[in-house]
Amino acid sequence: MASSQSVKRVVKEVKPILSLDREEARQRVLNLYKAWHRQLSYIVKQYDIPKNQEQCRQKLREQFTKYDEIKDIRLIDMLVIKGQMELKEVVNMWKQKGHIMTYFKDTVEPKPQDFLSKFLSGKD
Amino acid sequence: MASFLLRTRTLSKSPLCIKWCSPSISTTAVRNTEPQIKNDIALLNPEEIEHKKKLQNYITVEGTTDISPITGIPEDYIKERRVRIYEPPKNCMQSGTNNIGNWEMEFDTKERWENPLMGWCSTGDPLSNMKVQFSSKEEAVEYCEKNGWQYFIQESKLDKKFKPKSYGVNFSWNKRTSFN
Amino acid sequence: MIVDMLRVTLNKVLNGAKLCPKHIYIATRAQSGEVKKPEKVEVFIDDKPVHVEPGTTILQAAAMVGIEIPRFCYHERLAVAGNCRMCLVEVEKSPKPVAACAMPVMKGWRIKTDSELTRRAREGIMEFLLVNHPLDCPICDQGGECDLQDQSMAFGSDRSRFTDIDFSGKRAVEDKDIGPLIKTIMTRCIHCTRCIRFASEVAGVDDLGTTGRGNDMQVGTYIEKMFLSELSGNVIDLCPVGALTSKPYSFTARPWEIRKVDSIDVLDAIGSNIIVSTRTGEVMRIMPRVNEEINEEWLSDKSRFSYDGLKRQRLVTPMLRDCNGELKPVDWEAALLTVAKVVKNAGPAIGAIAGGLADAEVLVAVKDLLNKLGSEALCTEHTFPLDGSGTDLRSSYLLNNKIAGAEEADVVLLVGTNPRFEAPLLNSRLRKAWIHNELEVASIGPKIDLRYEYQHLGNDPALLQQILCGQHEFSKKLISAKKPLIIVGSETLERSDGAGVLGTVQALAATCTGANKDWKVLNILHKVASQVAALDIGYIPGVDKIRDNSNLKVLLLIGADECSIEKSDLPADCFIIYQGHHGDYGASIADAILPGAAYTEKQATYVNTEGRAQETLVAVTPPGRAREDWKIIRALSEIVEAKLPYDNLNEIHVRIKELQDFYMTDAISRASPTMAKCVQAVLKQKQSKY
Repeated sequence: MASSQSVKRVVKEVKPILSLDREEARQRVLNLYKAWHRQLSYIVKQYDIPKNQEQCRQKLREQFTKYDEIKDIRLIDMLVIKGQMELKEVVNMWKQKGHIMTYFKDTVEPKPQDFLSKFLSGKD
Repeated sequence: MASFLLRTRTLSKSPLCIKWCSPSISTTAVRNTEPQIKNDIALLNPEEIEHKKKLQNYITVEGTTDISPITGIPEDYIKERRVRIYEPPKNCMQSGTNNIGNWEMEFDTKERWENPLMGWCSTGDPLSNMKVQFSSKEEAVEYCEKNGWQYFIQESKLDKKFKPKSYGVNFSWNKRTSFN
Repeated sequence: MIVDMLRVTLNKVLNGAKLCPKHIYIATRAQSGEVKKPEKVEVFIDDKPVHVEPGTTILQAAAMVGIEIPRFCYHERLAVAGNCRMCLVEVEKSPKPVAACAMPVMKGWRIKTDSELTRRAREGIMEFLLVNHPLDCPICDQGGECDLQDQSMAFGSDRSRFTDIDFSGKRAVEDKDIGPLIKTIMTRCIHCTRCIRFASEVAGVDDLGTTGRGNDMQVGTYIEKMFLSELSGNVIDLCPVGALTSKPYSFTARPWEIRKVDSIDVLDAIGSNIIVSTRTGEVMRIMPRVNEEINEEWLSDKSRFSYDGLKRQRLVTPMLRDCNGELKPVDWEAALLTVAKVVKNAGPAIGAIAGGLADAEVLVAVKDLLNKLGSEALCTEHTFPLDGSGTDLRSSYLLNNKIAGAEEADVVLLVGTNPRFEAPLLNSRLRKAWIHNELEVASIGPKIDLRYEYQHLGNDPALLQQILCGQHEFSKKLISAKKPLIIVGSETLERSDGAGVLGTVQALAATCTGANKDWKVLNILHKVASQVAALDIGYIPGVDKIRDNSNLKVLLLIGADECSIEKSDLPADCFIIYQGHHGDYGASIADAILPGAAYTEKQATYVNTEGRAQETLVAVTPPGRAREDWKIIRALSEIVEAKLPYDNLNEIHVRIKELQDFYMTDAISRASPTMAKCVQAVLKQKQSKY
């Protein structure tokens, strides 16, 4: 009854969302990154967050490299769309300081990762 | 549309009732606004028009897509939870079978306790009530793989040899199936 | 929660007449495909043609098409009664509606299950049933899962014509006392006679019956008698109304607030499939789940009603024995550090005893840990003779024919076993075969009441020798049988002459193979759920190895509560660690207690006596500070610096699979008959003194 996670080398035909090939998706991602990068100095000033621009740049880089491994163009498109939506909210000041700070997760306590800490802390 | 309904209502009423004054001309055909012109085709470059056309066709994608980055489910709930795919069993107290025959998926059970205020059932697990139904095992497996959950399949053993039942065996003279 | 069923029904419609598992459940496959195929008869049910074997009832034929005819008294595992009349359907050219559950189909019949006549018949029956049925729904335990409620909503009329309520009122019947498990409120009884048929056919206890006629008919035992059957709780499931309900479960929960988790019962070695019903983190009741190969849809009383023991005498926190000799609660860190220190100092002088409820995961974890520390002293509480093939060949300690195979046998020899109490569901299969297939049963052992007739050959193991040599009259029957079975109880094999008994039985099994080469004859019936898994993994049956070891420093008891080893048997400085979920004997002699999880609280694998591995699932979480058993061992191993290589359930399953493959691909595969080793066993037995 063990779970099966066999990787299937299946090729399927799907409807695209925004881009037709990897190059186009890559262009979109890079454009989004540049747009965010340009906005960073304004974010630090307008939202008055306790981070400097260097830390913001690192965080931006981290958020983008998190999805390095994704191969499906539609997923990349969806992530670009979501990134674009976030950018719009940030640019128009629809977000607030708290929303920006959640990216940094500074109030989140790290959950225990290794077996023994998880065992001692709770039933999970 | 509203006029259409009015018209049908008069038709269904009995002939003895008074005739409603229904408009004899359809009011929906009259347009008060000018027709919408799609600017895209007119203003786009030829490459962009081609790109638009290509978007109507299909592209090829390899492998099963794991959409967990865009579903918004936190990583813990994807990595650490196991999904059970099973066929819900028939309630042994009842003889109705409308609830069975499909496949269902549910998550592993986490802690539940009695709420001290009202005695209701509380839990800290947002996926505790997530039970999705499918009509086949393959659909369920596809769904779990798409979302990136670990799953295991629980097979039911419902196959039975068919035996026609008979009222007459209750009175058989030589078999043990008669009443004692 | 479960949303709408629209998608499912749409799919069913789109798939047409494809048999979905539900249809298989209702009336099973139309083709058995085995011996001779009788000419199939064509009938039309609601204008849908279906080909059925002659002799099939209308109800079964309709079920093959996917039409479920409402019924109260019909049950597919009991004899046909035909007294509720709810299954009346219209058959064309017939003056009266016919009872679908009893009428066999004839060629070319056109049956209408949704015509005006049928509907009127159903409404009429419903009306009659409700005339004398009390208005108990708010206080009835069956409310929410009641057949009468469901069918009156679906098929009954919307208003009542019962005006007699203002005059003589409804009938009332006295409650009968049939034991502490079944609550009877006989006013609600609709006299479907399902309980009577169950008691007389499946349970074999002919105590329930009807007294009186017409309005004064009462179902009961007539004299105040307890319904003494180990399968008595199943009448609670069978009763379509709330006349027979579970006494421990009464007034505790409603079916719509209950969450159901599928699991396996571990209180005996059968491994019946159960549904654990919980609410607010407590187990409310345990019900059977259909598994045609093991327990059909029955469940023994012990498994059904013992869930309230899960709340009492539980170990909820780790404990250590202090200098005064009292057990004091501590937290996990302190307990694990103390235990780890002792274990590290002990080195290879460490042993483990596995109890009856230990799952495969913890057995594997303990074995790996002890092997890493250099010890091989892993024992189970119950012994098994190790001479001859011992526990090397899987088929020498399993119920080889499987529980469903008992149904097909024609001669059964029970050796030193009382299946009625050790494995009630196996006994019900034997009884089923006795009723339907003319089974002949003989028993060597104490004279027991099996609820079916059997030939008692005696109580002497020497009888086995006689049968083997052909001197006993029973040997003729055994040899001429086409599908003989020999079932040996595990307790018999724990006796001092157990090895001899096993050897003789193996020789006997070799002589009477029956007509089919694939048919295995020898079966061992275990009593505890963990024995087969432990033997599979490589535990030594019997605690002698631990008892003989005079310099044992640490003993790990994994739920071992059967007093198989006393504190006096062990050296004085032996540190006893008990890991389990109840404070029983093992906890009382322990120096350190590590609280584990019971079978409803962990996802664990148990191997039943047939060798089938099944998983229990988490229904409630372990109470207090208790943890899952294998995780405790894994945490301990990390502190002892003999870290085990698995961190989560998937990885430990991989490890179990590794072990299983190792044992399966042993030199002699598991499918090999007992022939080869049997000869060796017989030779060895000739040398032994029995």
